[in-house]
Amino acid sequence: MSTRFLSLDLALRRRLLIAYSAGMALYTLVVVVLYPQFKNTTSLDALTRGNSAAAALFGLTGSLTSPSGWLNANIYANFLPLILLLLTIGYGASAVAGQDEDGTLALLAVLPVPRKALILQKAAALAVQTVIFSAVVCAFTLVGRSFQIAIPPSRIVATAGTACLLGVDFGLLALSLGAATGRKGLSIGITTATAAASYLLSSLAPVIHWLQPARYLSLLYWSIGDSQLAKGPTVADFLVLAAVGIALLWTSVAAFQRLDLH
Amino acid sequence: MPAPAISLERLSKTYGTTHAVRDVSLDVAAGGIFAFLGPNGAGKSTTIRMILGLQHPTSGSARVFGLDVQDNMAAVHRHIGYLPGELALYPRMTGHRLFEFFAHAHGKIDRTYLDSLVARLDVITTRPVRELSKGNRQKLGIVLAFMHQPELLILDEPTSGLDPLMQHEFELLLRETVGEGRTVFLSSHELDEVQRLADKVAIIKEGQIIVNDTVRALSGGLPRTVEARFGTHLDSSLFARLKGVRIRENTDGHLSLEVSGAIAPVLRILADHNPIDLTCRQASLDELFLTMYSKPANPEPTGHEH
Repeated sequence: MSTRFLSLDLALRRRLLIAYSAGMALYTLVVVVLYPQFKNTTSLDALTRGNSAAAALFGLTGSLTSPSGWLNANIYANFLPLILLLLTIGYGASAVAGQDEDGTLALLAVLPVPRKALILQKAAALAVQTVIFSAVVCAFTLVGRSFQIAIPPSRIVATAGTACLLGVDFGLLALSLGAATGRKGLSIGITTATAAASYLLSSLAPVIHWLQPARYLSLLYWSIGDSQLAKGPTVADFLVLAAVGIALLWTSVAAFQRLDLH
Repeated sequence: MPAPAISLERLSKTYGTTHAVRDVSLDVAAGGIFAFLGPNGAGKSTTIRMILGLQHPTSGSARVFGLDVQDNMAAVHRHIGYLPGELALYPRMTGHRLFEFFAHAHGKIDRTYLDSLVARLDVITTRPVRELSKGNRQKLGIVLAFMHQPELLILDEPTSGLDPLMQHEFELLLRETVGEGRTVFLSSHELDEVQRLADKVAIIKEGQIIVNDTVRALSGGLPRTVEARFGTHLDSSLFARLKGVRIRENTDGHLSLEVSGAIAPVLRILADHNPIDLTCRQASLDELFLTMYSKPANPEPTGHEH
């Protein structure tokens, strides 16, 4: 199968992807390089010790000064999902709805290519962007091993994998909403609200008893919110995230077949 | 008998309670230029988008060269070149990169033909789209529609933004295209252009076809305007007995008549009163179109059904 639409969208997003990845790489590098300075700062741990509510606000479990606690508090529990979802929700919403609104999609949709192939290539472009971004974060996290961040590389890579799937899933949610409604703003709005709810569920469920069963509804919980960096992601994490992704991809294809373009 | 280039059968599109297109049936024979006209918001673009498969009909069907558009989208698109009314291109991309992308997407194209299009339309291919004027962007759109030499060209306001020289070159291109047996479905507000170029015309108003006829037949039925100047005032009752004559103006020796009947009796009366000046011209299609545009839509189209 030709990948010309995939290449086109990657070319259109190149600058943005480079900016997001470079910014996140630099930030990750600063965080891991600073770790030895804070490793023995017990006062940091005092902030959250015995105060699970404060920890929950940061999306944390366990010690702040442990390698995984340090990375979670500074990257994985907040900045990584924030920037990753900005990237993927932004692309998911613009790939169909945004390009239809700005008028560029019609010229592609009248090419002799089935709509299914067109949207599958857009989903592939989403995956490629997310993999590149996650790989960069993963690579710079691995640099942390030289700065006393003693987390097994396989666990860092596996967590990058679940983070990547999280980004793809929310990107596909935005893509399917855009394909169903043709409205970029609506797609961004609903997906962002879902992501925010997902974040709150994942981070607050440990301290609010009645919310605990609902954390399973949060994609963040299956990706990075269940101490994946400390314990390593489980097969169930991957399976849930992949299943959601496949369902959203199917929805995107079905919705795009029915969408009226401009 | 070959299938029509476009065949619409009771095509309708409804958005909520708004009927954008209602029961439109239309055949566009292969070869020639078919003009598709109508005021803004009449349903032109919606109809075009349904022909292209961009939008789904609420009811009815659209066929291109005998293929149902919804069932054979990719196959139909192989035959079509499309220039949208509101052309949007990627702002950072140069014409050269655009042509490369679309050339690959179409598969094999004749590079010599592409080069000749670029040369004759004087297209700027080396600068990003965002740096180009509207006319130069429009030329990129024209090349994108023509580059793969499609059997059917669907062109929405193609000369928008082009200078007169380029409009002339574009007209030559259209004539060559139909000369090769290909079909052009043209939507335009340039009524002069339509009258010069089109073989057939359909007018859509309030989602319905109100005219579907040949340009020749429409022109033949148009009234003539006769204007004459006299040294003195002429009595209007002189024309009262003549059929098909309407007095538009008769003031200060200036007489203007609309004549849809025989011309000879009118000329005899005028000659008898020693006119200082006399002109006779046929109304342009502009006037007919403007009349049609402003009349309420009628479910039964005028002219011949073909």
